[in-house]
Amino acid sequence: MQHAQKPTMKRLTQRQAAAVLLAPFLVIYAVFLIYPFFRGIWISLHDWNLLAVAFNPDAKEFIGLKNYNRVMWGKNITWSLFHNPLWQTGASCCAALAIWAGATHRITKTMAALIAIVAAGVVVAMGFYPEEGGRWYDRRFWPTVGNTILFVGITVPAVTGIALVLAAALNRETRAMAVLRTLFFLSNVLSVTVVTLIWQIMFSPRQGLIANVTDLLGGSPIIWLTDTQFAMAAIVITTVWWSIGIAMMLFLAGMQDISTDLYEAGALDNATGLKAFWYITLPNLKRTITLVVVLQIILHFQVFGQVHLMTNGGPNDTTQVLVRYIYQTAFRDSELGRAAAMAVFLFVIMGGFSALQFLLGREEAA
Amino acid sequence: MMNRGYYALIMVLAVPAFVWMVPTVWMLSLSFQPNDVLARTTSTTALGLIPIPFTLDNFTALFAFGSTPMWFLNSIIVALGMTFGVLAVSSTAGYALARLHFPFKKTVIAVCLLGLMIPEQAVFIPLYTMFADLGWHNSYHALILPRMAVPVGVFLMMQFFKGISDDIEEAARLEGVGWLQIYWYVMLPLARPAMMTLAILTFLYAWNDYLWPLVSAQKPEYFTITLGLASIQSNFAQSEGLGRVMASGVIASLPVVGLFLIFQRYVVRAMSVGGSKG
Repeated sequence: MQHAQKPTMKRLTQRQAAAVLLAPFLVIYAVFLIYPFFRGIWISLHDWNLLAVAFNPDAKEFIGLKNYNRVMWGKNITWSLFHNPLWQTGASCCAALAIWAGATHRITKTMAALIAIVAAGVVVAMGFYPEEGGRWYDRRFWPTVGNTILFVGITVPAVTGIALVLAAALNRETRAMAVLRTLFFLSNVLSVTVVTLIWQIMFSPRQGLIANVTDLLGGSPIIWLTDTQFAMAAIVITTVWWSIGIAMMLFLAGMQDISTDLYEAGALDNATGLKAFWYITLPNLKRTITLVVVLQIILHFQVFGQVHLMTNGGPNDTTQVLVRYIYQTAFRDSELGRAAAMAVFLFVIMGGFSALQFLLGREEAA
Repeated sequence: MMNRGYYALIMVLAVPAFVWMVPTVWMLSLSFQPNDVLARTTSTTALGLIPIPFTLDNFTALFAFGSTPMWFLNSIIVALGMTFGVLAVSSTAGYALARLHFPFKKTVIAVCLLGLMIPEQAVFIPLYTMFADLGWHNSYHALILPRMAVPVGVFLMMQFFKGISDDIEEAARLEGVGWLQIYWYVMLPLARPAMMTLAILTFLYAWNDYLWPLVSAQKPEYFTITLGLASIQSNFAQSEGLGRVMASGVIASLPVVGLFLIFQRYVVRAMSVGGSKG
């Protein structure tokens, strides 16, 4: 059998071999990623009810960009630089600070650009509001986006900060340190449902470990998951616990690349411990930090499982996030068209950050 | 290095490390406690962190009845199927893109790069309608195929194959060995470390994936363990008993934790490569 096959295979030219080897992936790639992507855009241009179209494929109606209008816009929406002065001035200051820090090389240019763009986005977005008699067509969309950004805005700095400190402390090749690293990393490999299973019961006011501890200390337990003030905090705590390991490992890898000469030279100038961390480790780790931050933003913007399983987006929509809203709109409300429009919105934001991540990778390689 | 400061640092770090482990240890401990005790209180011994009173009933009950073993098997089938599928298409495509010359190569690479920017959440709705039209939902291939289309593995393999020196390949060419044989007999054996990283990345992803199985598998017969666990945790106190749900969680975590403890280095590398895509 093999003998019969070999001569025919040898006759393959390089081009033919390339075609044969590439075909399986390219076919699957085209059918299950590229085509669905464009089909998603196509669906977003239709009034498309999941159930109606399932029974009658002609039940969809082409409505152009109306879905985007219905999701993101409203009646009598205007813009003003002073609608939300606190946020808009704050964000403007942030942008100015980032540009200054970037220009003076305190942070990488990419990081500066990142912060400036996000802050500018806040200035613009916060300026929109419905005038008298006006309203948003979809009251839940922008608050949902806001919750998602809030979640990312708390989780990413928390994970980055804790992971950075841990990595600096654990950056030694001894057995004890390896064990400690393993302990911090372990939760990272668990699935989202195991993580939420653990933390749902941890936060439970009746059976939870946290409630048991507060009981012991004589306090009254917090009803974490159904209290508007604590629900988001609970989601953040869970996520930080879950995802700190990989950030820590990326920082450790970055720290391995910092030459020990720098630390030895620093030690001569009395820079050890915290000083060494501040003046040697941090400046040399700027690139890695930027990369980790961008990775985390992409990762946490897609938050779904924790919220879906722990709080159901509640109480009062305070933990409703974008992916869960898309999921609900599509599969509970059967409004595929609107859900697809939101998915395109998600793609635009995520795609932007992915492109940034790609550019960062290039910068690193160069 | 091994001075007093070092040991002090270890002691200081042991505290957060312990705190970090508490939730996992608690799950493990609850899974070994009787359900009727847990219904009353979860903090019998040392806040419930030590499983006294101790029982194995939760685990034996899981295997005697309930869907956990079936879901576990589904997860094994899906995770292994996806891993083999991803390894096959990524290593062939990666080899072709790294070592062969053909027209439009740059275009193909650019098109694959663009695919990295498309998040799963942006395509799950159209994928749902496609699979519904084909009548493919509630099947193993529905759970496996979409993930095989993600190009991160192709780039991982491409990077690896680019790093191999030309000598071996040229020698084989002079002997008249065909390109496909070079791929199979020369390149694949060399690529074992990269394949291992990719395999672990894919297996972890498959095992832990939640959104696509949630959308695609509506029948409990096709739930993965991750999805099955989600379906029982909303009503854990009433029907199943806390201990048994926790036992399911322990079972669901065994393969990934085992994989991590055995292949720690590969797992960390895989997750770093995967980053957001993992």
